[in-house]
Amino acid sequence: MSKGYRQKYPYYFLVPGIVVFSIFFLIPMLSGFYYSLTDWNINVRKISFIGLDNFRELFSDVKLVTALKNSLIYAISVTVLRNFIGLALALLLNTKVRLQNLFRTTFFLPFVIAPMIIGYLFTVIYHPDFGVLNQGFRTIGLNMLAQDWLHDPKYALFSVIVVDVWRTSGFAMVIYLAGLQLIPSELLEAADIDGAGFGKKFTYVMFPLLIPSVTINIVLSLIGTIKVFEMILALTNGGPGYATEVLNTYIMSVFSIGLCGLGTAANTLLSFIIIIISMPVFFFLKRREIEL
Amino acid sequence: MKYHSISKKIIFFVCLVFALIIIVPFLIILINSFKGAREAALFSLTLPKQVSFDNYQKTFQYSRILRGFGNSIVLSVGTVIFTNLFATMAAFVIQRQDDRLHKIIYIVFLMGLIIPISIIPTIRLMMLLKVHNTYVGIILYYVAINLPFTVFLFTGYMKSIPRELDEAVFIEGGSYFTLFSRIILPLLLTPLVTSTIIIMVNVWNDFMGPFYLISDSRKWTIILNVFNFVSMYQTNWGVLFAFMVMVITPVLIIYLLLQKYIISGLTAGSLKG
Repeated sequence: MSKGYRQKYPYYFLVPGIVVFSIFFLIPMLSGFYYSLTDWNINVRKISFIGLDNFRELFSDVKLVTALKNSLIYAISVTVLRNFIGLALALLLNTKVRLQNLFRTTFFLPFVIAPMIIGYLFTVIYHPDFGVLNQGFRTIGLNMLAQDWLHDPKYALFSVIVVDVWRTSGFAMVIYLAGLQLIPSELLEAADIDGAGFGKKFTYVMFPLLIPSVTINIVLSLIGTIKVFEMILALTNGGPGYATEVLNTYIMSVFSIGLCGLGTAANTLLSFIIIIISMPVFFFLKRREIEL
Repeated sequence: MKYHSISKKIIFFVCLVFALIIIVPFLIILINSFKGAREAALFSLTLPKQVSFDNYQKTFQYSRILRGFGNSIVLSVGTVIFTNLFATMAAFVIQRQDDRLHKIIYIVFLMGLIIPISIIPTIRLMMLLKVHNTYVGIILYYVAINLPFTVFLFTGYMKSIPRELDEAVFIEGGSYFTLFSRIILPLLLTPLVTSTIIIMVNVWNDFMGPFYLISDSRKWTIILNVFNFVSMYQTNWGVLFAFMVMVITPVLIIYLLLQKYIISGLTAGSLKG
């Protein structure tokens, strides 16, 4: 490759992308930071600057504090469970099991279906009287496990978490499978020759080499789950009470009563939380990756 | 190796159980969409006493459904065309012109992978620009939110296209436009197929965009129509199931036919970046 070679590629190829991205992403984002500091709402003609008042109001609102707490519980639980199950599925399918491709296709399937539809699907599964879950519990005599999963504040958030794990574990699996296939087979054969069992092989050979897949899975999962919206809307609409209220449903409810400045402030909060959580995790995991 | 054959059987059995956990919920929807209203509301897995297509007929009485499908198709096709065009053009220059300015532009695009859209200011800006409630407006909004991952995908792929090809075109007296349209674009075919499918599915399934940005019910997408249907006729399960089957089926067909591209596209970029 000729290193000294310097061609000037035409900047105008970048123009359409940059213009659209600026108008529909960057400008709303930056102006959003400003609107967060204003009293913008549908009842006033003039928008005026009010400093951090919106954020003070947010943190004194029980609903927002609950939503924030729920979003964090949701994001962490889904991320942990999705990665355990995704990794387990990947290890199962990495054994050249019969019908391997069919299983992979099936496990990944829910990920391509609209989350809103998945939400409605599970209102049926969780139905207290006729849902297949409770019917199943009753059939095997575990009647005390047959709960009103979505309307009992004790279980509602947990039930929604399970749906998202069901929906996205196949995605984590696919990334882990790709990671497993990048592990040089000589390393695994060498471990076999040394008489390592599966446990040792996994701990000392496979897992360290899988860290890049762990990084991408955990970071993508955290970013995605804190933004959860329509699945909550379809399953519980934030209820019962505030039991499954999350940041995006809070933003919707504030916006629907015309408090645009407050809603935008909540959106800004959402952005900061995503950055604050995902960036340190990313750099922490990135340092543990091994170059082959 | 007896041990191996037993463990293989156990693994197969465990996979089968997981597969059932995925499939059964979909089966419940499918089976019950062919039952009468009362039977469907029992959500049972037993086959219908009498197969009826009434629920499907009823979805068509709900007048907006065909428009909803049409809108979803218009939005996904429009978004696919413009996202692919703008993203390949941008990735072409970003990868080739490897200086600090272009690195910054690249990072700004990638920011969109992490930071969520600020939806309320977007509505305001679209109203100011008079593109609120228009197909053009929502398509450009979708282009903007799909650019980060497509620019990332194409820039990664551009690295594998040798610069010698560029030089050959210039020596032949070809322009940048010739280079891009005759050489680069055809070589980007594989990631283009991937991005096309992923964008289509993203737009088809999206709820948040149309929910906030389209108040005109004639322009609602199919997902928004389902949402509205549920709020209006919450108790009519059979019809809702038929509705859901109709929304899922196109995505399911695309997925089953082209899953190779979806899965490779989602994993390729993620592990090498």
